[in-house]
Amino acid sequence: MKMKKWGVLAVSAAMVAALGLFGCSGGDAKPAEDKKAEEPKTEAPAEMTLMKEGTLTILSSPDYPPFENLENGEIVGYEVDLFNAIADEMGLKLEIQPLQFDGIIPAIQAGGQGDVGVSGFSVDPERAQQIDFTETFYIDDQAVAVMNSNTEITSDNAAQALNQEGVIIAVQSGTTGEAYVQENFPNATVQPYGNGTDCFAAMQSGQATAVCTNLAVVKRMLADAYPDAHMVLEIATGEEYAAVVSKDNPELTKALDAAIKKLQENGTIDQLQDKWF
Amino acid sequence: MNKTPCFPPVFSGSALRALGRLASVVLAAMMLLALVPASALALDTAKCTARPNGSTGSEVYGGTETRVTWEGQAAADEAITGLSIVFPRGTTFNDDTTGKARITLLTADQSQRLGFLDADYSLDGETFTATLDEPAQAGGYLRVEIYGVFFPVAGGEMALNGSYALEDGTTLPVEDIQPLTVTGVSTTGQITSWLSDQEWVQAWNSNRFLRMFLNPVIIVDSFPIVFQGFLMAVAIVAIAFPLAIPLGLCLSLMRMAKLRVLRGLASLYVNVVRGTPLFLQIYIAFFGLPLAGLSIDKFPLGVIVLAMNSAAYLCEIFRAGIQSIPAGQNEAARSLGMNAAQTMIFVIIPQTVRRVIPTMTSEFILLYKDTSMLAAVGVMEVVMYAKTIVASTGSITPYIVAACFYLVITLPLAKVVGRLEARLAGGGRRRKRQGGAGAARPLQGTDSAGVTAYVTDALTSQPVIKNDAPDAGR
Repeated sequence: MKMKKWGVLAVSAAMVAALGLFGCSGGDAKPAEDKKAEEPKTEAPAEMTLMKEGTLTILSSPDYPPFENLENGEIVGYEVDLFNAIADEMGLKLEIQPLQFDGIIPAIQAGGQGDVGVSGFSVDPERAQQIDFTETFYIDDQAVAVMNSNTEITSDNAAQALNQEGVIIAVQSGTTGEAYVQENFPNATVQPYGNGTDCFAAMQSGQATAVCTNLAVVKRMLADAYPDAHMVLEIATGEEYAAVVSKDNPELTKALDAAIKKLQENGTIDQLQDKWF
Repeated sequence: MNKTPCFPPVFSGSALRALGRLASVVLAAMMLLALVPASALALDTAKCTARPNGSTGSEVYGGTETRVTWEGQAAADEAITGLSIVFPRGTTFNDDTTGKARITLLTADQSQRLGFLDADYSLDGETFTATLDEPAQAGGYLRVEIYGVFFPVAGGEMALNGSYALEDGTTLPVEDIQPLTVTGVSTTGQITSWLSDQEWVQAWNSNRFLRMFLNPVIIVDSFPIVFQGFLMAVAIVAIAFPLAIPLGLCLSLMRMAKLRVLRGLASLYVNVVRGTPLFLQIYIAFFGLPLAGLSIDKFPLGVIVLAMNSAAYLCEIFRAGIQSIPAGQNEAARSLGMNAAQTMIFVIIPQTVRRVIPTMTSEFILLYKDTSMLAAVGVMEVVMYAKTIVASTGSITPYIVAACFYLVITLPLAKVVGRLEARLAGGGRRRKRQGGAGAARPLQGTDSAGVTAYVTDALTSQPVIKNDAPDAGR
């Protein structure tokens, strides 16, 4: 009997949740949705929508030093500082919500969890079909690291030595590093992991021969946690980092773009880059 | 010596000087050639690749968007002003090609970027042309990235040709571009490109919920990829579960052993394994064991971890099952002259089996679902594949596809459990009517619910929560 009651409750809860998703995909996006329903495609000067009044909520996966990571229980990093400055510029308070990297773009699309996704996203046409990118605020490159005990792969032969059968390269799944390895080292085995930290742990434990990820991350990892590994290859791929915003919120993208441009002009971005990289 | 005077009449002094000059020029030219034979007026291709455009792997498919990257080293005296690349017939492009193309000037080892070069990009049929605003630094290493390229659907070896222009207006061919191997568009690729052109699909996808959760294009696209993960998950569980059964049985016998050491060991193991998250066990096994000098391949290691985890749960299931057999059975067997082992093997265990089958099936379902945890350490199973596609496309749809692959196994099994339980309940009643070992019955439950009561008393274990409604434990 008890079970039945619970069952009914669960089903009705699920239905309510489903309705919520269908109706407005997260209650907080309501104002925008209502406006749309009333007057679709009008040229009225749309306001940017924020989840919370006066607060810019960013979604970030804090496992990507030096862009964002947890230090003493606080999320710190280049992108955190940058968005604090951007929020100041826009007269908003900044709030950071941690979320797994691969969940951020879906969450931004669905709305209700955050306004902007900031987690070392590089501009990519495939991603651009789902969300809008802001202006670029950092340009990063790729790098490959191996353990010091590995004497077969050196900086002199890395490009060839990595492109061989039996070489396992750990990458963060769904990142540009993964795509780079697939394109340039087709003979090697690509081994994706959930986050950058795991890639290095896998290499240290011998599950992978090398790690390929963004240069800034490799440098930071080697300096902080993996003194027994070193970089063998550095490739200036020039990936442009930007934040992601829902396609339903173009005004927010514009506002962010303006703030980023301003910070670029007044040198704040350069200062922050000097501080973190 | 006396022959020397003979020369002057033949070579006048000035002629000799001229000859000397000529010889030195020729010599210098020859030396130059020997030193830099390749770079004399040539733009050497260092690499020419296309970005893989399947959802996984290194293949480049025809008919699907890709990005072509060409890199080359200009000769020391060449300042390039323009470059054009001729793609094979049938190659098409989109707006990104001229809108997003990029030229980067790099150091020769590609480790440092010297800058992005401003250029105008144009397309004429299959020819992509970049005209630099200012001539590139002589002897520069250039990278050209061309977005939005669609190779012909049929695929094959794609031979690219190129030419470049110099400051003085000469146009020269780009040397040795290796042909790109393009795989013919897969069946799924054909279906997805057909689907994305359909009006109903576009209408469907205009709803945000449907687009995110049930995008038909991504369903078709991710299905074959996630299917590979499905095979992996089934393989893991198909090996791990049969391994876990004898292990669990051993543990359960140890837990009921007379020797205190054995009992202690078994219950320590069971309580530690059940008392820590599987996720941590996987992390420790995958990243910790190799550091301790034990290096095992991912697949066997995953199987072992899951089997060892499952064994702890099965141990409790078996123990409960065995202890639910009326004590009279044991006594009767022993009085017939069987020893303890014979009693266990021929009398107790056969009766236990039918009792524990429903809970074991539940444990199987749990174990199957738990294979998803291995995604965190790079075992390519259902969730790992789905995750990869989610990360690159930003759509939740692959997770829905993954969920279906779990349901394919778990739904029929859940039904089987239901049937088994019904049958066991029926069997129980029949025995009651026959009047079997009635004396012991009140002490120990003999239906499957009774089994559950035992299992849940220890360290509230998850495997049994689903079946039994009148579970006093919760």
